[in-house]
Amino acid sequence: MRTALKENYFKQIWKGISTTLIGMSVTIGHLFKPSVTLQYPHERWPMPEGARLRIQMDFDECTGCGACARACPVDAIIIEVLKAQAGVDLGETSNGTKKRLHVLKFDVDNAKCIYCGLCIPPCPTGAIHFDLDYEAMKLTRKELIYHFSIMTSDEVETLREADREAKAKAAAAKAQAAAEKAKAAESAPKKPNQSDSSS
Amino acid sequence: MEKENLTMREMDIPLGPDRSKLLGSRAAEVDIIEGDHMILNMGPQHPSTHGVLRFELLTDGEVVVKITPHIGYLHRCFEKIAESIPYNQVIPYTDRLDYLASMNNNLGFALAVEKIMGIEVNERVQTIRVIMAELNRIASHLVSFGTYALDTGAFTPFLYAFRERERIVDLFEDVCGARLLYNYIWIGGLSHDLPPGWVEKCRDFCDYFLPNIDEYNNLYSFNQIFIDRSADIGVMTAKQAIAYGATGPNVRGSGLAWDLRKTEPYSGYENYDFDVCIGTGEKGTVGDCWDRYMVRIREMEQSTRIIRQALDRLPEGDVKEAIPKNFRKIPEGEVYMRTEAPRGELGYYVVSDGKQIPYRVKCRSNCFTSLSAIPEIGVGAMIADIVSILGSIDIVLGEVDR
Repeated sequence: MRTALKENYFKQIWKGISTTLIGMSVTIGHLFKPSVTLQYPHERWPMPEGARLRIQMDFDECTGCGACARACPVDAIIIEVLKAQAGVDLGETSNGTKKRLHVLKFDVDNAKCIYCGLCIPPCPTGAIHFDLDYEAMKLTRKELIYHFSIMTSDEVETLREADREAKAKAAAAKAQAAAEKAKAAESAPKKPNQSDSSS
Repeated sequence: MEKENLTMREMDIPLGPDRSKLLGSRAAEVDIIEGDHMILNMGPQHPSTHGVLRFELLTDGEVVVKITPHIGYLHRCFEKIAESIPYNQVIPYTDRLDYLASMNNNLGFALAVEKIMGIEVNERVQTIRVIMAELNRIASHLVSFGTYALDTGAFTPFLYAFRERERIVDLFEDVCGARLLYNYIWIGGLSHDLPPGWVEKCRDFCDYFLPNIDEYNNLYSFNQIFIDRSADIGVMTAKQAIAYGATGPNVRGSGLAWDLRKTEPYSGYENYDFDVCIGTGEKGTVGDCWDRYMVRIREMEQSTRIIRQALDRLPEGDVKEAIPKNFRKIPEGEVYMRTEAPRGELGYYVVSDGKQIPYRVKCRSNCFTSLSAIPEIGVGAMIADIVSILGSIDIVLGEVDR
């Protein structure tokens, strides 16, 4: 290569200049063509319909089944649910699925979210969808956690309390039943060996 | 200090008959320059290392005597993560391997799992997959063209390349909603069907794109300054390419017509009419940087040909019909599926033990193997040529480190 350069010194110079001029003619031609850039804060790119941006959800539609949380590869969706008491009607979603669970917490951590869209298809009621807002910057990581549950902490606490009471009641009833059973077993032992081992 | 001296002595290549063997074809040139060797660190924050890659260069003046690449700055445990999540959730992680060609990565993994599960996808899915893979190949080669121009000192081609890439990315956004990490090709199908009017948009793009390739050639490919920077530099012979396992445009640049789309067709590639572009050595030696670069430019033309054929034959069908409802009943077994990604052979080795999550996933990275050839082909080149060689090899560090 180097020897070739020496031999055709002026030819090389001419080739360098001429091919550069060809390239420059291409760029000069573009001066007379419309610009392709977008002046961002003033002009905005319209988002297509299915753009995968920030996750949004209709809380009224959520049944708390947790299918989205299971489908998430990065565990960005955190759901806490509580079983509804017997006789409490939580209503229905728009497609007629009966709600059976209180959704105490429905958090989406946008710092973890990779916007893969795997949480959308498993949802039985179509509660999760993507927002078309793409300027979702926040100053701290905490602000990136979106809380979708409309329950206040007081409401959550009362529900939890009621649940604990109900559970205690159920446990007490169970213990009572067990005690009664043991009593019955004691009063009428079928086999003497069994009563020995139980005492 | 002492340790440094020791390594210097170790690396110091002695005079004698071994010298030419160790130094390769340009030993004579190295011999001329007498002087002490110096270690030069290139990277990990060097603008032309295409990510976080560090080269330890042992230099003799301006000539590089030994190259040691240090990788692993971008290691994210893809293979280990894949062992802990269900098969369909691995797809978003494959996006992040070679992030400039996510569609091709998705395709490889989806085909591997489909092979294990024995899923047959319909004609429409296959055709759309081919369109997406080829569009992404063009996008990836455009980035390669643009960054190689940046590496060799020209800024303008980069803007031209990204102007076209933007249109491809817009097409992808219309289809799946994402611009870089698509998660579009799912196991057994696709996440979305083509939106109405997309086929016409894609045809418009093909018509718009083909004349632009001539523009690139006028602007850059045949520029004498660029030819001087790339021809006869970093020559990788076909033998070397095979020895190092280099695939894709790198091995084709060495004059070997090895293309998995032709040799082991998948996803219906046997039905398309296209040429395998190989390096011819028209500006220098076969297998030099210019050949590798030119193979990519010519492949963009061939990809456009494939897209046009695919758009013409696009059949009707349901793109989601073969997607499994759950991944609970996976047959036991192991499979290796390789596809032709823009940077070469991308292989997935998946072992299933019948559970919902893979037992083992191994990714055969094409960039890693191509990168491993640099210590051989770069020896004897100038420091500035190393930048040119690295640009022509076209690596993405996300895939080298995985």
